[in-house]
Amino acid sequence: MSDNRKDEFATDPLVGDMAQGMFLAEEATLVEKPEKTEPLGILFWVCVGWIAVNVLAAVLANVLPLKNPYFEDFNNINVGPGLHHLFGTDDLGRDIFSRVVFGSRVSIAVGVGAMIIGFGIGAPLGMLAAYRRGRFDTFITTIMYVLLAFPAIIATIAVLSFWTPRSLVKIIIVIGLASVPLVYRVIRTATLSVATKDYIIAAKVQGATDGRILVKELLPNIAPIGVSFLLIGIATVITLEGALAFLGLSVNPPTPSWGNMINEARTVLAENPYLVIFPSVALCLFLLCLNFIGDRLRTHFDVTEVKL
Amino acid sequence: MSEKLLIVKDLSTTFATAGGPLPAVDGVSFDLEQNETLGIVGESGSGKTVLSRTIMGLQPRTNVTVTGSATINGFEVVGASEKAKREIWGTEVAMVFQDPMTSLNPVMRIGKQIDEALRVRLGMDRAAAKARAIELLELVGIPSPVERYNAFPGQLSGGMRQRVVIATALACSPKLLMADEPTTGLDVTIQAQILNLLDELKERLKMSVILVTHDLGVVATRTSRIVVMYAGRIVETGNTRDVFYHHRMPYTRALLESSPKVSNLSHTRLTTIPGRPPNLLNLSDGCSFAPRCSYATDQCHLVRPPLQAADEPGHAFACWNPLPTTRGASSS
Amino acid sequence: MRRLVMLIGIVFVISIGSFYLIHLLPGDPAVVILGTGASPAAKAILFHQLGLDKPVYLQYFAWISNVARGNMGTSFISQSSVAATIRAALPIDLEIIVLSQILAFAAAIPAAMRSARKPDGALDRLLGASSFTLLSVPPFIIIVLLVLLISIKLGIPHTGPSSYVTLASDPIGNLESLSLPAFTLAIGSFVVYYRVLRSDLIATLQEEFITMARSKGLSQRRIMWRHAFRPSSVALLGTASVNIGGLLASGFVVQYLLAIPGLGYTLITAINMSDYLLVQGIVLTVSVGVVVINFIFDFIINIVDPRISRE
Ligand SMILES: Nc1ncnc2c1ncn2[C@@H]1O[C@H](COP(=O)(O)OP(=O)(O)O)[C@@H](O)[C@H]1O
Ligand SMILES: [Mg+2]
Repeated sequence: MSDNRKDEFATDPLVGDMAQGMFLAEEATLVEKPEKTEPLGILFWVCVGWIAVNVLAAVLANVLPLKNPYFEDFNNINVGPGLHHLFGTDDLGRDIFSRVVFGSRVSIAVGVGAMIIGFGIGAPLGMLAAYRRGRFDTFITTIMYVLLAFPAIIATIAVLSFWTPRSLVKIIIVIGLASVPLVYRVIRTATLSVATKDYIIAAKVQGATDGRILVKELLPNIAPIGVSFLLIGIATVITLEGALAFLGLSVNPPTPSWGNMINEARTVLAENPYLVIFPSVALCLFLLCLNFIGDRLRTHFDVTEVKL
Repeated sequence: MSEKLLIVKDLSTTFATAGGPLPAVDGVSFDLEQNETLGIVGESGSGKTVLSRTIMGLQPRTNVTVTGSATINGFEVVGASEKAKREIWGTEVAMVFQDPMTSLNPVMRIGKQIDEALRVRLGMDRAAAKARAIELLELVGIPSPVERYNAFPGQLSGGMRQRVVIATALACSPKLLMADEPTTGLDVTIQAQILNLLDELKERLKMSVILVTHDLGVVATRTSRIVVMYAGRIVETGNTRDVFYHHRMPYTRALLESSPKVSNLSHTRLTTIPGRPPNLLNLSDGCSFAPRCSYATDQCHLVRPPLQAADEPGHAFACWNPLPTTRGASSS
Repeated sequence: MRRLVMLIGIVFVISIGSFYLIHLLPGDPAVVILGTGASPAAKAILFHQLGLDKPVYLQYFAWISNVARGNMGTSFISQSSVAATIRAALPIDLEIIVLSQILAFAAAIPAAMRSARKPDGALDRLLGASSFTLLSVPPFIIIVLLVLLISIKLGIPHTGPSSYVTLASDPIGNLESLSLPAFTLAIGSFVVYYRVLRSDLIATLQEEFITMARSKGLSQRRIMWRHAFRPSSVALLGTASVNIGGLLASGFVVQYLLAIPGLGYTLITAINMSDYLLVQGIVLTVSVGVVVINFIFDFIINIVDPRISRE
């Protein structure tokens, strides 16, 4: 709008603004959003159920009646799926089904752990920066954007390659730290869009403390975006861990993980395709459900936000 | 030249929305002579844009039903295929859009946006099209058109962009130019410049013009006839003079009183029309304006008034309790 | 201009990161580099070569000036020049990436154009569902399944593990041996490009200037390509730029599986042999490469979209 006035004559600003204001007021009364929220749908709950089953199985793996995932039965090598071994056995005679269940623990632990670190650091920083603005914001944002330009996967590989011996905790820390700039950016953008809304400004004017506004007003408003990004973030981290494991840079064998099972399977691909198919399917289904839930939540909350 | 350029008969446009069918235009009829300027006025949301786009056949292709008839120079627009309509778009009828900030492609040089029509529709070669585009830029009063030919829309002011939009619309010498609130987003002085330009071009190029606006002041001196719309219907129509001085519909008067240019005493407060426009998804059987009208009676709320002839020829209004003829706008 | 400063800053940070990597990690650098069983003589040579006896900032300057001249040192493990090793491996990565991007764009653009023309149509729903599903299939799974299917079940030559053919010796065989890696990367890129371009096109098609283009009587084809695709290609290019880092990483994965001697395979081998200098060199090359490619993309976007350069 402002460049209207550049090379044409200056006009009485009052008249112009008033006409404009009237027009806008007229338009505003017209905006009537349909009272409709996108339903979450049955598929959403199927996905939630599947994630729940996976998480429960991972947590309870030790008490569930599963075969020992480390027991090598050399009499039953590369057995196909059957009653005795549900998914068959691998090239060392270990039970694939129980390895898949135990393998999920690594993926879930890395996904959740890394995101706890990522959100633990990135989210408060992002909220504060967007709320405070000014120099603090500029400073942190510049640092984060520089870090963001650095390809995270390469950095992760570089650090993990020499920080030996590799362990679950180290992997969680490295991936978690690598995810901080990304989390920061998402949360900061989300907060920015809320922080300028009238009710936040009203709360400020009424003398609410910063801490109170951040926790009571901002947090609930960005929570939906946060949760949806958290789920998609967990899926991304699990994919990354899978790739690292596939490259042999994650937890050391014989501890099973979905990624290193696929890695081990590649040498016996022709003899025993089940060894690669089951962990692959388990991983993909888990990721698909996470992504689906995250995506659904996002569209669901988007619609409600418009309605407000 | 008594043959009508445009005949609109009982035209209705209904959108299928989540909340049910939305009749944005409902049973509109009027016509237009060659080389005439007609004004369509109404509050925001009264269906002016939908009406003008329906006349052109430019509606979105999904979720919309159009009934009735609109013939431009003998071509029936309603029901015509996109392919058939392409033949009349640009050459028979063209449109100047409301917001010059959004109606030009931001990543295309303005010259290209003008001469593309010339090349595609008129089959001109590159050089001829460019020469003609520069001519058009000059015609609409853009300084140094040769340099501006290569400018991107973002490099021009709103007024200049609207001139480019007009030049684009004029490229293939249409017989009918539809200008949908061509000056709403612009400053007041530039508004006048653009409107005068349209007037001048209409005379020079022997076009007919439909001037759509929410501001009666804009159409006062530039049109021969006016159609007043409310909630998708015509509520009053007639010669410009009659509508201004002998209007019968309370809504028309309210519109006049809310126009900054008609009530030109600078110290009078502008009145906006009280109340809000009706919800088109949920219209009553009566007059749509009744809830906001101080003259409304029970009849107004229950039965919709038909368009009835007034004393003057060509003047008609839809109202059960019309304003008396003697009290015109002169009192306000 | 501001971006150029930013670029230099980022490259600087990356170089410090790669240089300092060894010091960030716990333990004696000499032990990390040479392994635990190294002789004192080897340690002495290393100390001298890295200048480990000097202050850290002098070490950095010595190192960076060498690197700037294309000298990344000589590997203690293979005794060959790090720069030469990288120069030999890099073209393979580039070839895979270029092939994959050609495939991905060639598929994603027409698919997105069709989808956007009829959103929620049968084709759009099909592509939407399948692309969302593929989004959740990591590249290492795609390549394993492709190898299982194409090279093991169908027995297509040159597609299996350890069957890489160089471009110079047999161009057709080379193309065959890189087809699965390129295809794997292409799937990942296709999914992302398709989704981004589709939703951006749908938004663009709602714009008033599209209605205006229609009102000029232009053909649908022309409107789609000249008026809708041009503005939306900005989003596509931006996505492609962000995608580069991930693409390289996926490239590493497929090379590792098929033993194709590109940077990825070389990197993993180097990691497994604790060839510190080679790892450092590859990390530096790849990181700087990604940043520079992003910079070039930014530049192209600026040309395509006059809206951005004005700000
Ligand atoms: N594509 C559409 N779908 C549903 N409703 C629409 C659409 N376009 C316009 N409308 C509705 O039609 C009515 C008339 O709109 P419009 O013609 O733009 O008014 P005006 O141009 O007079 O301001 C409005 O209530 C608007 O919400
Ligand atoms: Mg309008």
